[in-house]
Amino acid sequence: MTARLILSWRKYRFLLFELIKRDFKVKYKRSALGMLWSLLYPVLMMCVMALVFRNVFRFSAPGVSYLSYLMIGLTLFNYYSEASNLSMSSVVANFSLLNKVYLPKYIFPLSKCLFVGINFLLTLLPLYAVILLTGTGLCWQHLLLPYDYLCLLLFTLGMGLALSAAAVLLRDLFYIYGIILTIWTYLTPIMYDLNSIGSPRLIALMKLNPLYHFISFARTIMLFHRTPGPGQFAACALSGVLALLIGASFFRSRQDTFIYYC
Amino acid sequence: MLDSWMIEADSLSMRFNLGMEKSLSLKQWFVDAALRKHKAPQEFWALRDVSFTVGRGEVVGLVGSNGAGKSTLLKLLAGVMKPTRGHVRCSGSICPMIELGAGFDPQLTARENILLSGAIMGYSRDFLQSRFDAIVDFSELHAFLDVPVQNFSSGMSARLAFSIAVQVEPEILIVDEILSVGDTAFQRKSAEKMRAMIGGGTTVLFVSHSLEQICGMCSRALWLDHGVLREEGPSQLVCAHYRSAALGQPVPDAPEEELC
Repeated sequence: MTARLILSWRKYRFLLFELIKRDFKVKYKRSALGMLWSLLYPVLMMCVMALVFRNVFRFSAPGVSYLSYLMIGLTLFNYYSEASNLSMSSVVANFSLLNKVYLPKYIFPLSKCLFVGINFLLTLLPLYAVILLTGTGLCWQHLLLPYDYLCLLLFTLGMGLALSAAAVLLRDLFYIYGIILTIWTYLTPIMYDLNSIGSPRLIALMKLNPLYHFISFARTIMLFHRTPGPGQFAACALSGVLALLIGASFFRSRQDTFIYYC
Repeated sequence: MLDSWMIEADSLSMRFNLGMEKSLSLKQWFVDAALRKHKAPQEFWALRDVSFTVGRGEVVGLVGSNGAGKSTLLKLLAGVMKPTRGHVRCSGSICPMIELGAGFDPQLTARENILLSGAIMGYSRDFLQSRFDAIVDFSELHAFLDVPVQNFSSGMSARLAFSIAVQVEPEILIVDEILSVGDTAFQRKSAEKMRAMIGGGTTVLFVSHSLEQICGMCSRALWLDHGVLREEGPSQLVCAHYRSAALGQPVPDAPEEELC
């Protein structure tokens, strides 16, 4: 199993590289602003949300800059939502290929997660711009953030594998998942503070959301300049590894049947 | 005797469930459940118990009418599908020339698509870089290398796809019809290239509806009829039997002279 995986990796890493390169070329070709779009989009989103939630609903995050608070949540959540969405459609979109040549099918969701992941590094630029401009400041704990991103990547990959295999069976999953993502946005404390919710039972329930842990890990470092506790480290690792294990085993059990749905 | 065969198919069977699969949606599922519609699986055996071997360097033809299971058999050999029963073994690198232009992205230029499409067909980066000039030369598209493929005419993109596909030096070549693409000059050039590949000493499994081509190029032929291997033998004999069965005529006395 491991030996097969290594062999397949050796043979197909060039294809993986080419697929990711293709996505970048297609994304930034023929757009006048090019990469600037990737930088502008989160900033614009942040501005609109800050306007609405701070001034209209009077939300705030106690003791820290609300703009930074919002921006961290948005950046991480946007990665998840874009990568999982693209992964979900990646297998169905490549049916014509799977019908012709043998390819390891996991390469499609994997390439999408990595493509959005590399693009995510670009969106860190506006995030850090906001952090510096709002006077939130830096600290050595920022070096722990790659751990957070890695766990988020594993989680997203697991979800992407599961979703892409499920989308082969249920073609209307594309619409259903769009609705789920919208609901998920509001259930994740991106624009509000979890502790502002009155009911402790509701808070406990909302902490079951894996995305909450990835965002809260980043906030502990970036906003409060503290090292996350062992519980936070464990929650991130557990969410990532568990999602990947479940997603990968579901994908594996289904992948030989994809061809019948082409 | 391990090396005596290149392809070994051992009692291959392939079952499809017609009507059960494809275009399933949650909405449809609810509608069916509400109307108490129960879709019975309608089994269809595309291949039944097909066994054969292809020896090293042999050129074997595959004949059969539409729906006989030829494409399914090729897909099983290429590893695109897994058989319901039985197994297939190929001892050597296999190149299915089943479809051209696998994975062209219309927004990318010809230069970029050579790399992408080549990667999808399983070529390595070094191999593609060493063959890049040969691909461009064969396609004769030097002037259009940096044009997005979506701006190509269909003939031009077929030429590019063909030029990429014929760069392989596989140990087993699977050919689904001799392809001739492009304009008259390129059609002749591409057909000649494919004949050269088939005659080049590699093991070939060749599917065609042109019995003349099968007779001319293959020493042995397999005849698939409704998923069953009906006959296997010298290509001229098999082609003669297949033709008379297809046309509903008795077997002619001297098929060799009449056919080929």
